Amino acid sequence: MHDSKLHRRDLLLAAAAGLVGCTGTTGTPSASPPKPAPLPPAKTTPGLALAYFAAFGVDEKLIREGLSAALEKGAERADLYFQHRVTTWLTLEDGEVNRASTSVDLGVGVRAVRGDQTGYAYTEEIGLDAIRNAGATAAVVANGASRAAPESFRVGELPRRFPAKLAWDGVPVGKRLPLLTQLDTKVRAGDSRIRKVSISLGSEHGAILVVDSEGRVFEDLLPMAQLYLSCTAEDKGRRETNGYNLAGRAGFEFFNEERLARVAKEAVARTVILFESVAAPVGEMPVVLAAGASGILLHEAIGHGMEADFNRKNTSIYADKIGKNVAKDLVSIVDDGTLPGAHGSIDVDDEGNAPEKTLLVDKGVLATYLHDSISARHYGVKPTGNGRRESFRFAPMPRMRSTYMLPGPHEAEEIIRSVKKGIYCSRFTNGQVEIGAGDFTFYVKNGYLIEDGKLTRPITDVNLIGNGPKVLERVDMVGRELEFDDGGWTCGKNGQGVPVSLGMPAVRVSSITVGGRKS
Amino acid sequence: MSENLLDRAKDALTLAKKAGAADAATSLRRSREVITKWRDGKLENVSDAVSRALSIQLYVDGRYGSMSTSDLRKAALERFVGDAVAMVRALAKDPQRKLPDPSAYADRTRDDLEIFDPKLAELDANARLGRVRALEAGARGGDGSGKIVSVTSSFTDYTGEIARVTSNGFEGSYQHSYVSEECEVSVKDSDGRRPSDWSNASVRRYADLPASGVTGRDATARALARLGAKKVASGTKTVVIEARAMPSLLRLLIAPLSGSNLQQKQSFYDGQVGKRVASPVLGLSDEPLLGRGLGSRPFDSEGMTLKRRALIAAGNLEGYYLDVYYAAKLGLSPTTGGPTNLVVKPGTKSLDALIGDVKDGFLITAFLGGNSNATTGAFSLGFSGFLLEKGEKRQAIAEMNVAGKHLDFWKKLSLVGSDVYPYSTLRSPSLVFQGVSVAGT
Repeated sequence: MHDSKLHRRDLLLAAAAGLVGCTGTTGTPSASPPKPAPLPPAKTTPGLALAYFAAFGVDEKLIREGLSAALEKGAERADLYFQHRVTTWLTLEDGEVNRASTSVDLGVGVRAVRGDQTGYAYTEEIGLDAIRNAGATAAVVANGASRAAPESFRVGELPRRFPAKLAWDGVPVGKRLPLLTQLDTKVRAGDSRIRKVSISLGSEHGAILVVDSEGRVFEDLLPMAQLYLSCTAEDKGRRETNGYNLAGRAGFEFFNEERLARVAKEAVARTVILFESVAAPVGEMPVVLAAGASGILLHEAIGHGMEADFNRKNTSIYADKIGKNVAKDLVSIVDDGTLPGAHGSIDVDDEGNAPEKTLLVDKGVLATYLHDSISARHYGVKPTGNGRRESFRFAPMPRMRSTYMLPGPHEAEEIIRSVKKGIYCSRFTNGQVEIGAGDFTFYVKNGYLIEDGKLTRPITDVNLIGNGPKVLERVDMVGRELEFDDGGWTCGKNGQGVPVSLGMPAVRVSSITVGGRKS
Repeated sequence: MSENLLDRAKDALTLAKKAGAADAATSLRRSREVITKWRDGKLENVSDAVSRALSIQLYVDGRYGSMSTSDLRKAALERFVGDAVAMVRALAKDPQRKLPDPSAYADRTRDDLEIFDPKLAELDANARLGRVRALEAGARGGDGSGKIVSVTSSFTDYTGEIARVTSNGFEGSYQHSYVSEECEVSVKDSDGRRPSDWSNASVRRYADLPASGVTGRDATARALARLGAKKVASGTKTVVIEARAMPSLLRLLIAPLSGSNLQQKQSFYDGQVGKRVASPVLGLSDEPLLGRGLGSRPFDSEGMTLKRRALIAAGNLEGYYLDVYYAAKLGLSPTTGGPTNLVVKPGTKSLDALIGDVKDGFLITAFLGGNSNATTGAFSLGFSGFLLEKGEKRQAIAEMNVAGKHLDFWKKLSLVGSDVYPYSTLRSPSLVFQGVSVAGT
């Protein structure tokens, strides 16, 4: 809690406590089938109908009081963000599921906005006095005559991109336990050298309610399914650890047999291959990034730098580059909130705006920043639906959702064949970026040496470091097949973590610094 | 205030027992945190958070689970505790799960650790604004301020209280506080890059903050020093790591000392107690009772009394971080589950003196990303800093990487500085390593 928060922008593949080195995966996009549920048409109060939060005592009077308090000093806009979330983890270790933890988050955040200034407060009590106090605290950012709360409220329709077929609140713990024990058995059966397996299965059940001073109301259910698996193998006294990290916005149905079989197989393969690994090379060289989790490159090299708050403040390396060429014309990059069931998907952003598929780079040309409502006003554009927050305890800011590169003209084989001496990287654990200088890193958990156009010996535990704009210019081959990673990536910025997703076709970066070691 | 919070923790304990727990422990926290953010002459963001949380550890029929909640409405809490007990009953039995032995609660310090500043209650919005304005004034007041693109300043004040009770006789509570200020400065480089750097101070008591202007000036000086940074050739070099960059490296060094890492065979320290794991110049200890220490506290999260412990003495491994559960699984005695104040024993030389001895090497002022494998000890970390030549700081460098294996790397430690960085729970001076693998061009 004492560590500096201002300057942090990093991306982590979330891991159970003490676990380092879980990786994401390539493979099919994580998704429940895209079947938007039918919705009632938008309607107008009186009689504001809240499907979820009415049970928590949230009604029109409470909402009106909260907004009125936030607007009483003349803020231009205000919003309320109610959240209820029940998170449950079950953990298997040494063959037994003998640990469970469950937590409840309930509260409401009140925000008052004047220009690009924000006042924020939250309360964990849902009640008239509590919300009035929070509103009055947030209101102090302004200094003028009171504004009125809206006359009426409209409940907006949502696309329901991640309906839970088996909602978590209806799945007792007893039904979840066999998933862990069966997975444990599969992993141990996968290789006789596996010594330790730990598995954590997590669920989130809950909803958010966004209400703003325009009278817009959105209530959304936010299910989440998560799995962390780590295994340690031992061979002739040498130990290696790796694992699998899986997450999606879904209910219990997410953990189907096919998916779990793939997790077990992959986790074992990623671990035992490390016994053959050699020290990674040192210095600048060509790097081939596999389709899938390599989207971490985009997240760090350009994604953060395109978040409009950094550009509004003139502190991003991309601050004056809109409309300029930043990459070869085979490179197009999007940030997309609309993928069905993806870890980084949303139905509505955390200030009530619809998410888009936002084009960051269009055939090599820098196209659009990622906006929240404050930066959209600053630039006089429509918000892109990137206003997100960790929880009701935080004010929103521009954040990525699912970031990926569109497919290009090359075959993956052809890309590997083109490299005489370099490395190939497929699994990653984390990355970080300095927004202003543009320098970024990402950490490779699984990869190979490329020698004379062929993958030869495996490598692991090597950091790659480059400069965003320079590396983008050096992406000179792009594969035909776009793959999405199904890992539970958490993006950290200014002390707030939000779920995001990554995708990528195979690409070649003609040169980047590889941080191996001379042994 | 204390009585009230302890009483409510006891109420929760009664609730857990009534719901069917044979044993239980409850912790209740209450806090207020105000963050004031200021950017380029204007208030950017002010947030004021009064928060509370209850957590309960449940021991039910030889099984274990835990729960936490911010929803303390009586009926909701009763239902949640009931549900949690039912959840625990569905799990496998775990004979190693127990509350600490009551002997671990004995001899708690009665000293004032000076970790709470009652004067923080008197801070008002004007005082906070005064601090952030002073940060920016300091940042813009010196030479080279014409190159500044943006200055972001923040001031945070936090006060909180923790109370814990267990069904086998533990009762304890304490108040704590901190204030911190931070200034980040972005400057414009000739090639369009906008390097930034920051400076901060984080202390238990308001009176211990640095004089007005110091933090802002330091942030600007550091940001300006980043101008023209470039990467240079790879090689095997002497590396000086500045004290301020050390916490992130220390975190990687100590993570595998935890009981769960050891028991799960994910630790390169397995079987190393009493053996040489680092250079003889390295002393590393956990010091929970340091006056005004940012990690200081009288008892740990399980209620165990905390005392100073050596982890590495003269390069030899002396101890682990063992909570009650993993200690039992390993057949060892519990110590405490994680770091309080982690202290690297300082030497006698200033950073300038350390640099003065380096003919050809690097000064690392910040790490960027990277990771470490707790099982094998392999690590690889990005960094920025300066080239060192003939005992002097030269060209700013960036976009470079350092890699090694902990059990080799820490044996290459040759000198320990005297300049302990005080604003972290991981307290280290600057360190010098010989023959380190560095990647650049």
